[in-house]
Amino acid sequence: MKDSCSRPLKLLGKYLDGEATDQEKELVGNHLRECQACQAELNSMKELRTLIATPVEEAARQEDFPWVWQKIERQIRAQEKPSWLQSLRERLSLSPFLRRRVWVPALAVALLVVAAAPFLLKITSSPAAASVVVYVESQTNNVMVYESETGPETAVVIWLFEEPGDESSPT
Amino acid sequence: MNQEEAELISRCQKGDQEALKEIFDRYREKVYRIAYGVVRHREDALDIVQEVFVKLYRSIGNYRGQSSFYTYVYRMAMNTAIDFTRRRKKFTASSLDEEGAFQPPDVPEKRPEAILIDKELEEKVNGAMAKLPEDQRAAVIYREVEGLSYQEMAQTMGCSIGTVMSRLHYGRKRLQKLLKGYMKEGGRA
Repeated sequence: MKDSCSRPLKLLGKYLDGEATDQEKELVGNHLRECQACQAELNSMKELRTLIATPVEEAARQEDFPWVWQKIERQIRAQEKPSWLQSLRERLSLSPFLRRRVWVPALAVALLVVAAAPFLLKITSSPAAASVVVYVESQTNNVMVYESETGPETAVVIWLFEEPGDESSPT
Repeated sequence: MNQEEAELISRCQKGDQEALKEIFDRYREKVYRIAYGVVRHREDALDIVQEVFVKLYRSIGNYRGQSSFYTYVYRMAMNTAIDFTRRRKKFTASSLDEEGAFQPPDVPEKRPEAILIDKELEEKVNGAMAKLPEDQRAAVIYREVEGLSYQEMAQTMGCSIGTVMSRLHYGRKRLQKLLKGYMKEGGRA
């Protein structure tokens, strides 16, 4: 390699690729007219380009992508078909309550209600189940006797009404 | 990126498969050329095209327009093709380990001499390309096959123009050296 080849040779790639500046093009062009070795190098680079690109171009020209799109569509559809777990998750995630994440406080409230239920039931419990044994009506007073089951023991209640229809206060 | 392409991308991001089909029609040959440039094999290149567009459909939601769409597609095509060759190498190595070395058939296919020579040369080129480091191979394909400018290559490869020129220079030198004796012009390699 001659000393004068050094700079043009470095620029040969840019020159071939059309990336050289006008000044660089002039420098390389002038040198190539005088130097056969650098001309051979440029030709070698061009030949290499042909060897690499031609088979690709030919293959691409012959290709009409007959089934590729169908395969892509099929693959996308197959991937979109959810498993039962995914579909369940999706269904749940579609619920507006769950989507808004209201379920966290809702769950907390539900737990509180369950925990407080025995106390609430004690306070608001209805009278124990009772079965009427005797009911006696007269002109002035009515008497009702019934058995009330509260826990393991059974209580007998005698309820005296002063007038018929007044059942508000047992005595 | 023009308005029409931006709309296509937006539609595709919303899951519109018709939009993907239009993107496929626009980019399929470019993707195929990159894939074929890397693997040098028709069926494999078509498999890569398929993989690229399925991946594109899955990941297009992440595309925010920070780079040109074609560089996004090129990068995905190149990465997929290189991953494919890595998988293939791994598979070939393991299957050879299991079944012993591959034995070529004794009798070659009957075909005209000229085609045989061309095929031989093509195989040499394919072999030489396969020996390049991945970044040099990518630079050579982007430039020699796709004709990208240095600026476009730098964007696609995520590096400086200086790095692009260096990869291209060393890639070409290596190929010239590997193919010496098969090329008409010897060059300085």
